[in-house]
Amino acid sequence: MARLEVTICGVEFKNPVIAASGTFGFGREYSEIYDIGLLGGVSTKGLTLEPRNGNPSPRIAEGSSVILNAVGLQNPGVEHFIENDLDFLKESGTVVIANVAGRTLEDYEKICERLDGLVDMVELNISCPNVRAGGMALGIKPENIEEVTRLTKAKLSKTPLIVKLSPNVESIPVNAQAAQRGGADAISLINTLTGMVIDTETRKPVIRNNTGGVSGPGIKPIAVRMVYEAAHSVKIPVIGMGGIMTAEDAVEFMMAGARAVQVGTANFADTLAMPKIIDGLNGWLDSHGIEDVNDIVGTATLN
Amino acid sequence: MKEYPAVVKQNIEIAKGIFAMTLTLPEDVEIKGGQFANISTGSDRLLLKRPLGIVKHDGADVTLCYRVVGAGTKLLSEKVSGDALAVLLPLGNGFRIRPEEKDVVVIGGGVGIFPLVPVMAQNPDKRFHSFVGFRDRESLCLLDEFEKGTDLTVVTDDGSYGEKGNAVDAYFKKAADVKADLIIACGPQVMFRALKKKLDESGRGVRCLVSLEERMGCGIGACLVCACDMADGSVARVCRDGPVFDINDVVL
Repeated sequence: MARLEVTICGVEFKNPVIAASGTFGFGREYSEIYDIGLLGGVSTKGLTLEPRNGNPSPRIAEGSSVILNAVGLQNPGVEHFIENDLDFLKESGTVVIANVAGRTLEDYEKICERLDGLVDMVELNISCPNVRAGGMALGIKPENIEEVTRLTKAKLSKTPLIVKLSPNVESIPVNAQAAQRGGADAISLINTLTGMVIDTETRKPVIRNNTGGVSGPGIKPIAVRMVYEAAHSVKIPVIGMGGIMTAEDAVEFMMAGARAVQVGTANFADTLAMPKIIDGLNGWLDSHGIEDVNDIVGTATLN
Repeated sequence: MKEYPAVVKQNIEIAKGIFAMTLTLPEDVEIKGGQFANISTGSDRLLLKRPLGIVKHDGADVTLCYRVVGAGTKLLSEKVSGDALAVLLPLGNGFRIRPEEKDVVVIGGGVGIFPLVPVMAQNPDKRFHSFVGFRDRESLCLLDEFEKGTDLTVVTDDGSYGEKGNAVDAYFKKAADVKADLIIACGPQVMFRALKKKLDESGRGVRCLVSLEERMGCGIGACLVCACDMADGSVARVCRDGPVFDINDVVL
């Protein structure tokens, strides 16, 4: 039995496997299938100040070993979350990460101020490619990333801040360093890549929004490369994600430099994916004679 | 609802391009008519499970029906007895018939007939009056299921079996002679729109439940992919809040 506990920004996780935002709601539905207290953490569905209805359907499409989604940040609003879901998540015993988004810088400041001290960590979604008015612009240019990080960090006196980076950018190292300069306690990456699937019969995109965020094992090599680049350009902890389906995938991200990982699309393919990855991680470490999962972090070396 | 490792017991083509797959689960399950299953295609390439209607269940055996429409259902159609597939079920709310609703009109179009079948089997105390429409004679399937304890009208788009026409029109032709406390319907969106229009025009105020289809992600209500606009301005999850809705509650 290897040691799976990891500590990120002073927050203790029982293992490094975290549910990725947007695939897991607030944990209630999955808790009917297994004990979500087994998970290292849960990053909530992206929260905004006001409730949002999201994009029209269809919101999902499939490619080879990938899926595309354009849910458009449908959520009941931060107050509804605090009132109805926060206690449930906390009581489950998992680390609660509130994923937040906004249309303006003020939105980000207000929502962080509201959540400060209430959740274990805040994850800033500045890279959701689906809401035309907000997200995208903030997550692309390093100066914007630094500014939104600095402003939100100032509102979080008790809760560590994770900045989630978009892959749809010029330079991951530059943007990772911008988040670090802005005062981020950690970064997570990658959010989805922007893509399109066209129905050859109708000659129209399958997703009503036309484009969607691409995720799943088909993007994993891109994600591993970006996590490696990020981890080797900043001092703050990196949380890696992008197509993790198995324990070996999680190990790969950790070797690239991730201190923990997030799992999203795999939950759709197999609702039990995360408990299996946690078990598998333990098995992998045991079979390799490694006693502590932290010992594999950043151990991959270049040729 | 649970994620089960299932074993294919039988997978047969019951009409042109339409298959019935019976799975054996590790335990007996309770399934309500109108609930569905989300089934893996067993492929690493196609990650999403496919939401399929449950036609029958008996103890640990569950039968799903599907039409081959794309790569995923094609893969499913190639499964043979003994193959293992992961399946998540039972999902969704199912049809809830009120005790005072004795005469139930069943309207099914194409593959939409599948989730209606167990509703009839599970409610032997009701009188069902079924109107089902198929593309053509070759697409006919499960008619024996509809004939059990129900008076059945079958129509086809091309008139190659029964009268030419669709299930909605077939019902409204006879509506004056058919007692209806409730209508349950499943089929394409265009069928629901026609049904709503006719119901509104008839002014009869019969309660009508429809089972919607939408592209899905998780199937359990967490990912908010299968959104459906509601008449009150809210957004419902087809997989969790549905798939069965009152026809007046949804924007079609």
